[in-house]
This record gives sequence, structure tokens and C-alpha cells, in this order.
Amino acid sequence: MDIYASKRRINIDDAVLVSRCWQGDSAAMEELILKYQNRIYNVVLKICADPDDAAELTQETFVKVIENIDDFEGRSGFYTWVFRIAVNLTLNYCQRNVRLGFRSLDASEAKAEYSSQSNLALKEFLSDDSSPDPAALAQNKELYEIAVESLMKLGDAQRAVVVLRDIEGMNYAEIAKVLDIELGTVRSRLSRARGKLRQILEAILQ
Amino acid sequence: MKEIPNMDELLNSFIDGELPARQQTEVQRLVHHEEKIAQRLQQLQKCKMLLRSLPVAEAPPQILENVKASLARKAQIVEQPLVFDERAGTRHLLGRKLFAAAAMLGLVSIFAAVVYIIVAPTIPPGPVAIERRDLLPKVDVIEPEPSLIAAPFSGRLELQTSDLPAVVGVINRAIEENIPSDEWIASDQSNVKEPHALICSSESFNLLLAELGNIWDKLDSATLFVDTEVFGEQVVVEAVTAEQISGIVNQDDSKRRVEVAKDFAVLNNIAEHLPGREILTAIDETSVGLIIPPKPVLTSNQKTTKKSATKTGAEKNVRLIIKVKGSN
Repeated sequence: MDIYASKRRINIDDAVLVSRCWQGDSAAMEELILKYQNRIYNVVLKICADPDDAAELTQETFVKVIENIDDFEGRSGFYTWVFRIAVNLTLNYCQRNVRLGFRSLDASEAKAEYSSQSNLALKEFLSDDSSPDPAALAQNKELYEIAVESLMKLGDAQRAVVVLRDIEGMNYAEIAKVLDIELGTVRSRLSRARGKLRQILEAILQ
Repeated sequence: MKEIPNMDELLNSFIDGELPARQQTEVQRLVHHEEKIAQRLQQLQKCKMLLRSLPVAEAPPQILENVKASLARKAQIVEQPLVFDERAGTRHLLGRKLFAAAAMLGLVSIFAAVVYIIVAPTIPPGPVAIERRDLLPKVDVIEPEPSLIAAPFSGRLELQTSDLPAVVGVINRAIEENIPSDEWIASDQSNVKEPHALICSSESFNLLLAELGNIWDKLDSATLFVDTEVFGEQVVVEAVTAEQISGIVNQDDSKRRVEVAKDFAVLNNIAEHLPGREILTAIDETSVGLIIPPKPVLTSNQKTTKKSATKTGAEKNVRLIIKVKGSN
């Protein structure tokens, strides 16, 4: 399914659902939750990397959305408003974990040990001049493991930008609204994130 | 290749389709002509593809129910009277603050007590009198002049006579008539060798002295020993007369008494060595530097009236031992 096409369709529906929510329609609220829960959960999981925490953060996101639905003025899209709440909660969670020592800042510096199969798959992926089939790539479990680990070695802010762009498929303007940063900051942060990701992948092969 | 600043940003924007059409064409032209740029573009695209290949995770099915339950719990909490909880919390907090303040005061008191025990001077045991001068009535205390304090006269009078019985008889009679019985001591009046010890008032002594003035003609010598403030030291006045004795005794304080006695001693001594000259007559009352002893009031042959010192309120400030010896 084309993610951008579905997003546009959702946006049209969102306005109707939000207006029903304003009138106290609980069914509309449930519908909004059901429509967005997978996408929110997916983004949160890719940022925090813990399924249980991701579920809790997703749940907390929707509780906040429903509690504050009356404050939503519609100046930005509902879609970006929901993701803004979710990403803020997730980044706060990450910072809290770092403060409490549940996650070390030096984790990005630790060199992970991968199997020879994983290393071989990564080497083939990086050296292949042709564009690989994304579906086939998704089936490659060795590369999946490396991708997740590499993503977690990025800083929280860089990881959030990369996830919102490459996983959620947001454009730069939407990322800027969700993260409440300038468009130029999105561009430079994304550039640095991808550059670092490339370095991490090359370091795995060495 | 000419180095283009922020090439990565440009390439990433190109990958993401975030460049305007003109820049998009420009990047495509660069990629075609520059192998390094093309290589870098491929590296960045691989990164993007790798992340996009990550499978989409589905949310746990219970999220909707959990959200509903969470909202229901919050609604219940909001419905509860929060004011009551706030008040209880405030009371609890206030109690803790008071407890903390009390504990702090206790610690400070203990600390102060310890410091006081270490630093404060030791007070001797026993009752402590605290004088509140501001509460006492104001009394004008008249301090007596030192010279006015009547110090008792203490001395010894030694008389020597050839007519011992007559002199002793006169003395005994004079004592009986002028000195109250509780003011003199005589162990045995028949025994002339026993001295008379007098402790009487100056008034009684003056009466006695006036009475004894008549026996001075019968005396061979009369010597007065005046005790000074220094223990064991006496001023000896030889050839003393009754008037001189009165003059010495009637001085107000012992210091003055000693000075007068010394003067009389000197005068009498000179008179002894210059017989025939009446020194005292040559002394003019206006002469400077000479002491004129007060003359005793003599009552002559008129019988004196015996008065009790206790009745008159006079103090017993004369202590004299009279010793009479016979001449060989």
C-alpha cells in the first residue's frame, strides 16, 4: 500500500472524525485510535526499541489525545498533532531512561558482535550497485537485526528524524511541525543522521 | 571535482524529493558527471532503503481497551473530592513541618546547653542572691565620719603612793559611788594589790576621775599606759594628771587618743627634766602646734549622782585597769 496515498485519505477522514469527537462521539474517538494505533506504535517502537514501553507510550498518547481533543484547533493536521504528542512522550521517555541509567549514552560506542552471515549480508547489500528489492530486503533477518541496532546507535533527535522520514514517510515540513524545529534543521539533522548511519554500517564490516 | 558545501544535505533532499525542480535537475546532472557524487548518493540511498525495509510493527490489540480503562480511571479520580485530599495533604505537610521545626529547636536547645556548660563560668553552690537595685527603696545613707566612731579606750593606770590605804579607800569609794556595779571588777577590795578593772562609759569615768582628782596630792607617781592599735604597743605617759587622763580618754578615736597621749608624755618628760619651770603655764592657748587637752568637769566636793550607763544609753568605751602600789 502506498503510504502517502493512505495518509491523504486519512487526513480527509480525520477532519470528520475530529468534529464528531468534539461533539462527544466516543465511537469517533475509537475509530481514530484504531486508525492510528499501528502507525504510532511503529514509530514509537523504532525510537524506543522496547515493545512493552512502546505499547504503553502509544496508549498514553491516545489518552492525551482524547483528553485534549477539545484543545485541538485544527491549525495543523490531526495527523501531525497526534505524532507530535507521541514523539514528545517517547523522547521524554528516552531522556528519562538515560538519566535513570537504564540506557547508557555510551551504547552507541559499543561495538556489537554479529554473525558471519549478517556481516556477509550487509557487505552484499552495501556493495551491490543495483537497487535491491525492498520486499526481498525486508525478508532478510540478518539485515533487519543490523538495521535496528544501527538505528539505536543514533542519538534520540537524529533517530526521531530518520524514523519519521524513512519509516513513517513524513515530508520535511511535517517533521518540522512534529518536532517543532525549523525546516533547515530537519534537513541538516537528517543529513547527519544518514551519514552517521553509513559510518556505523561500515564500522560493522571492519 | 569542485567541493560543494552541504553536498550530503543536497543529496538527501534529492533522495527525499524535497528539492525544487530546478535543483533536482541540477543534482541529476551532477550525479551523471561526477562519479563520487553518484557513489555518495548511492550510499545514502542504501541507508534509506535499509530503514524502509524494516517491517511495520502492529500495535497490541489491547491498546484500545487499555486507553478506555485509563480514561475511566482518570474520570473516577476527577469525580472524587480532591479538596478533601488536598486538605489532608496540607495537614500532613504542616504536621511534618511542625515536627521538623520542633526537632530543630530541640537540637538547637541541646547545642546551646552544651555550649553553655562548656563556656559559662562555674557558680559556687548555695543560694544565689539577686539584687534588684531598681526595686529597692532609695535610702539616703549618711556615712559616719571615721573620726566620729567612738573607739573604746584601753589602758592601764599605775599609781604609787606612800599612803596606800587612804588612796585605795578613796578609789574604792569613788568607784562605788560613780561607777555602776556591773561596770567594774575588783576581786577583793581589801586587797589593795589587786587591780581594779573598769569597763564603763566615758561619762561614768569622767565622774570617777573628778572624784579621784583629790588623791593626786597623795601620789608619788602616776603613770598611764595607753594601748595603741598595734597589739602589745603602748604609749607611756609618766606623771600623768587626772586632767590629762580625762583629755586622753575623751578623744573621739584611738588614733587621736594616742597622739594626745604622746604629746602629754613628751610634755611631762620635759617637765620632769626641768624642775621648777611651769611649762604648761607658759603655753598660750593660742599657740600653734600644741595640743590643749580638754579639761575635765570637776564637781569638787559636791556629791555625784550615780547614773547607770544602760539608762543613759552611754556606751562602755573605757577599759581601764587601775593598779595602786605602795612606795617603799
